[in-house]
Amino acid sequence: MNEKILGTLKELRVPGVALLITALYLAFLIGLSAALSVLGIAILFVLPFYLILSAFSLPPLEKLCFSFFIGVAVFSIPVYWLGMVISLRLAMIISFILYAGAGLSLHLKKR
Amino acid sequence: MRIKRTHVQASLFLLVYLFALTLWTLPFQENRVPYGEWDAISHWELADFTAQRDHTFVYLPSFLDFSYGKDNRFKPHTLWYPPPFHTDMAIVSVFAGDRMVPIYLTNAIFATAIMLSVGFVMFRLFGFLPALLSSFLLSLSMRDILPYLWGQWPERFAYAFIPLVLYCLYRYYLSYTEGERKPVYLYLMAVLLASTMLIHPLAFFHALLGLAVLCLFLLFSTRKLPLSWKHAGIASLLFLALFAVFPYQSGNVIVSFLGDGRGLPEGYDPSLTQRLFQWSLDPELFVGSVPPSYFSFSAMHGLWMLPFLLLGLGVLLVRREHRDIFLMAWLVSLYLVLHRDLIGKFNLIHRSLSATAHIFIPISVVGVLSIPSLLPARAETKQWLRYGIALLVVGLGLYFSFPQAYATLDGAYDSPLVRLNAAQIGASEWVQRNVPEGENVSVMGPPEQLMKKVWWMASYSHRTSHYFEGFLRWETYADERNETIRQHLLNDYLVLDYSDIGRLQDQSLARQWQEFERRQLANHTLIYDRDMIRIYKYGGSSDE
Repeated sequence: MNEKILGTLKELRVPGVALLITALYLAFLIGLSAALSVLGIAILFVLPFYLILSAFSLPPLEKLCFSFFIGVAVFSIPVYWLGMVISLRLAMIISFILYAGAGLSLHLKKR
Repeated sequence: MRIKRTHVQASLFLLVYLFALTLWTLPFQENRVPYGEWDAISHWELADFTAQRDHTFVYLPSFLDFSYGKDNRFKPHTLWYPPPFHTDMAIVSVFAGDRMVPIYLTNAIFATAIMLSVGFVMFRLFGFLPALLSSFLLSLSMRDILPYLWGQWPERFAYAFIPLVLYCLYRYYLSYTEGERKPVYLYLMAVLLASTMLIHPLAFFHALLGLAVLCLFLLFSTRKLPLSWKHAGIASLLFLALFAVFPYQSGNVIVSFLGDGRGLPEGYDPSLTQRLFQWSLDPELFVGSVPPSYFSFSAMHGLWMLPFLLLGLGVLLVRREHRDIFLMAWLVSLYLVLHRDLIGKFNLIHRSLSATAHIFIPISVVGVLSIPSLLPARAETKQWLRYGIALLVVGLGLYFSFPQAYATLDGAYDSPLVRLNAAQIGASEWVQRNVPEGENVSVMGPPEQLMKKVWWMASYSHRTSHYFEGFLRWETYADERNETIRQHLLNDYLVLDYSDIGRLQDQSLARQWQEFERRQLANHTLIYDRDMIRIYKYGGSSDE
């Protein structure tokens, strides 16, 4: 099981380094909140859907691109509906666990 | 140490993207106060209010309902945009712990996402160099920069989905006709199409039209039609599931499309022959809405690009490979979208013009990079020529397009008369903490040059702001004026903001307000008096 996850994480090495450089650059250019914003977008919107799409036979670049665009549209759906009754912060955490969990289980099942 | 080709490509693309982010974040790198036209105010306050309140909502709070309560034609007093775009910004604002930078940076990332999607599609279809050049030139596109600054936030981002939607259909179509079925692309297309609608319906309709045209072009080209009821059924279910997840907003899209009473402007009767050879629109029809230069190819793209665009069109028409058909279908769909006035759909037609760079630039890049292939030379020489041409195009972009893009972004909303000053932010934050939700906060005046500040103060404080003097004069409030006056006299908080008066040439307004204060407000409670801003509770008892 660790090998499968490691395989996916290995695909994210280059994008991960690019993300780090971007975050550091924005921290220098604008400030810490800019760096945190970029990290938030990557962790919350992109990562869970990259894991979900890893269940399908897609090239890494396609997975990365699609996960961003699908993530920004779909991640907030449970956040919006849950956020009416619970704290937005809690809704974000639940949504992340939901999607990342689905991604991990799909990903492991498929491989 | 051997350097991998993919690492070099990734580094170059990252360089281009960081260049774009540096450029597009110029308006708020140093000045961390919200800015923009009326649309920007609505988008920022939706995201900010959600983040600050730490809850989402179905029915609009009073300060939003006052301005936008009727914009959702299907279910008034609810969100007029599907929630994802603004909820995303609220999420990032919460994650990063700031009211301004996370929202504006997220918007900058979303607005430059067209570089990512076009870059991706061009990379997959034409290779790295066309992808890199296309993304670089898009970062300088004035047709994208201007609406980004004005405040057409969701629409900017939604356009980035179109090339991906078309790409997915393209991959599915070809995989089917080549015998190696890949239904995942059809499912992705459905999800991305629904996502486009969740961001902005204008791009959704453009994507739909693009899909139809691409399907038709590929049908003519391959003489095959991929028809799998199972795949189509699953794709449809995915689309419908996302379409239905926000019923009030999806309903608004349907009602607005079907029942759009905002047809052609008076006196405008376009004929097919008149519009057939006209790509753009008549700027006279949009006076007061967008500047005339917005409709000019030379002003927005630069005449230097025209020969490359024409060359690119020639290459596509002559070569007609599947990837060329892809670009042609995208171009034709944009043409059709820009001529929808011929079927009476005039509303927001000028906004579709902002999508031209997204297809003009890739076609131009294909054109210019095909020049070496026309020359009798060895393959290696041709490749070096392509690199040289790429550098030339970068140079042309930096020489012709960069100065205008930089000047526009660097000087955006720089005047202290268009962004809130520290006193106004302080007063707005005080109002947010001390004035109950639902109360009216009327700002006296203000003069025309400062009108937007009233709205920004309302956004910052999350309180409804009436414009007291304007309110008494304007036709907008004519029907219910007496009743609303009665309500105001009983309940309003009145703001007299002298903080900007010193910057105006006409000081008579300051004297009028001081006289009004002396004569009319002497018996009412002054509850805030700081930094040349005073707030009175009209008719109420002392709160502090």
